[in-house]
Amino acid sequence: MLSLGYMLRRALQSIAVMAIVYALTFLALFVLPGDPIENKISNPVNPLPQATADGLRAYYSTDQPAIVQFVLYLARLLHGDLGYSLTNGKSVAALVGQALAQTITLAALALAFTVLFALGIALVATFARSRLVRELARAVPVLSISAPSFLVGYVLIAVFSFRLGWVSSITDQGFVSLILPAVTLAFASSGSLAQVLIQGLSSARSQPFVTVLTAKGVAPSGIVVRHVLKNGAIPSMTLLALIVGDLLAGSVIVETVFNRTGLGYFTYTSVRDQDTPTIEAIVLLISAIYLSINLVTDLAYAAIDPRIALAAGGPRRGSARRRAEVPA
Amino acid sequence: MTADIAPGVASVEASRGRLVRGLAARLGVLDHVALALLLVLAAALVAPALLTPFGPLAADKAHILAAPSAQHWLGTDYLGRDVWSRIVYGARATLLGSAVAVVVGLVVGTALGILAATAGGVVDAVISRVVDALLSIPGLLLAMVVVVSLGFGSLNAAIAVGVSSVATFTRVMRSEALTVKNLTFVEASGHIGGRPRYVLRRHILPNSFSAVLSLSSLQFGIAILWISALSFLGYGAPPPQPEWGLLVSEGRQYITSSSWLVIAPSVAIALTVWAINRLSSTARMGHDHG
Repeated sequence: MLSLGYMLRRALQSIAVMAIVYALTFLALFVLPGDPIENKISNPVNPLPQATADGLRAYYSTDQPAIVQFVLYLARLLHGDLGYSLTNGKSVAALVGQALAQTITLAALALAFTVLFALGIALVATFARSRLVRELARAVPVLSISAPSFLVGYVLIAVFSFRLGWVSSITDQGFVSLILPAVTLAFASSGSLAQVLIQGLSSARSQPFVTVLTAKGVAPSGIVVRHVLKNGAIPSMTLLALIVGDLLAGSVIVETVFNRTGLGYFTYTSVRDQDTPTIEAIVLLISAIYLSINLVTDLAYAAIDPRIALAAGGPRRGSARRRAEVPA
Repeated sequence: MTADIAPGVASVEASRGRLVRGLAARLGVLDHVALALLLVLAAALVAPALLTPFGPLAADKAHILAAPSAQHWLGTDYLGRDVWSRIVYGARATLLGSAVAVVVGLVVGTALGILAATAGGVVDAVISRVVDALLSIPGLLLAMVVVVSLGFGSLNAAIAVGVSSVATFTRVMRSEALTVKNLTFVEASGHIGGRPRYVLRRHILPNSFSAVLSLSSLQFGIAILWISALSFLGYGAPPPQPEWGLLVSEGRQYITSSSWLVIAPSVAIALTVWAINRLSSTARMGHDHG
């Protein structure tokens, strides 16, 4: 049974980490390099209308010291106010929301593909009859974590858009246009997941319960699907938050390659234009998504295995994540 | 002091000999391919002129956007510059940038990890929470935040990638140092009068460093990917510098007619990172790991 105290402590921990994320990014974006807001507003290359510039200056209190700006920004953040873009003076919350809405389907589809690829590779790598096939499947994850996503993206475009002409590389054809970018994102993020799955499957396969099940006469496929997979998949659950974060961040490259607009493209233009309030908002958003998924999986673990809640903190989280970084 | 150091040196050398022999026995076919790739890269770093007759900036007006041929192995770009030479000369910018990134991550991360493990208490708690916070931001995004703060450019992009890997190094170093710190012989060294700094330098650091070193080779591959991603997006090296990510982004406009402009430098990045990842995992667990 999950104690309320543990849940509360984990939730508070996540909020504390979130606050540090906010403070660190504020430090990096607003404090370190001179005065980015003033520089941006008075940039002669991209002049803003006088009224907008004055409005932005008053809003961000550029005449106040950094610590006052920090508190002011934080107070507004707690009220759900993310500020206004330095490039066009529009509400950051609205801009980010719009961008996220365009990327969320892509990210969801990419997540589904990631799980599908990783599962397929791990099953082949562990259970294929031929040794050669197993070896080949084991070589795929290293390949997928080594290939830059623009390579995968451009190869897919060259083959499916130019050679075969199945998908347009320019016009948005709805769902069909999502497939190639989703595959590109999934190829990159399936590598680490496949590695953890392969490890989980091979260790679960050599557990004594498999021998018992075989002795009891359960069919091999039944053992794999109902028992080995279930046990072997547990460590990979912790990777979920990491993968979702990577999918959202990875969309910067993929959306550029596939000429899509969305959170990735918005990040790209915000960084290019050094639009600090929107970058801050994007970082907070992605980190919040990461931390919430992490919180949910940690609590789910604790619910399954009460020992975790007893040992303070989430010991599984660190160990699984560390394993994920080692290419096997 | 020398008498003190000599046995240590001898044992290090012996273990190095074992390591080399162990490695040779573990190498598979793919590892030899990876090794050969790294040798070519080393040549490109030291003496790029040996690998190509053309300069990276030499424009051949007669062959603009020429397809791969015997003369221009990987074709030419929109100014008639040889793509193979640009990749060869570009290795320096990309690999040096990644080296800077790894050094930044390694030095700062090791220092913070050791500090957290040995100081304990509030210091440890603060460092650990900051590490948690940094790890909750995807690395590429974090690198972009830092590069906005530092300004665009190839050195700044390298430092940004380094900064975004500090948290990973800190976490590994901290947990290794904590493990080693509580081993009996390390405790004994303190009890027989070794000062904390001596114990740290003599026992904790050498015994916890191997995990961090194997992480560095992994981070080197990641750094190559992130640095080329940053310059692909235009936050890194300025044109006309030959840098791999920049080569890809310069070729983007010609993807329809001259796809080699994009594919060739991307493949160079992929092969390099693959060779590094492959060899680093072979060094850790033998070649049958896949």
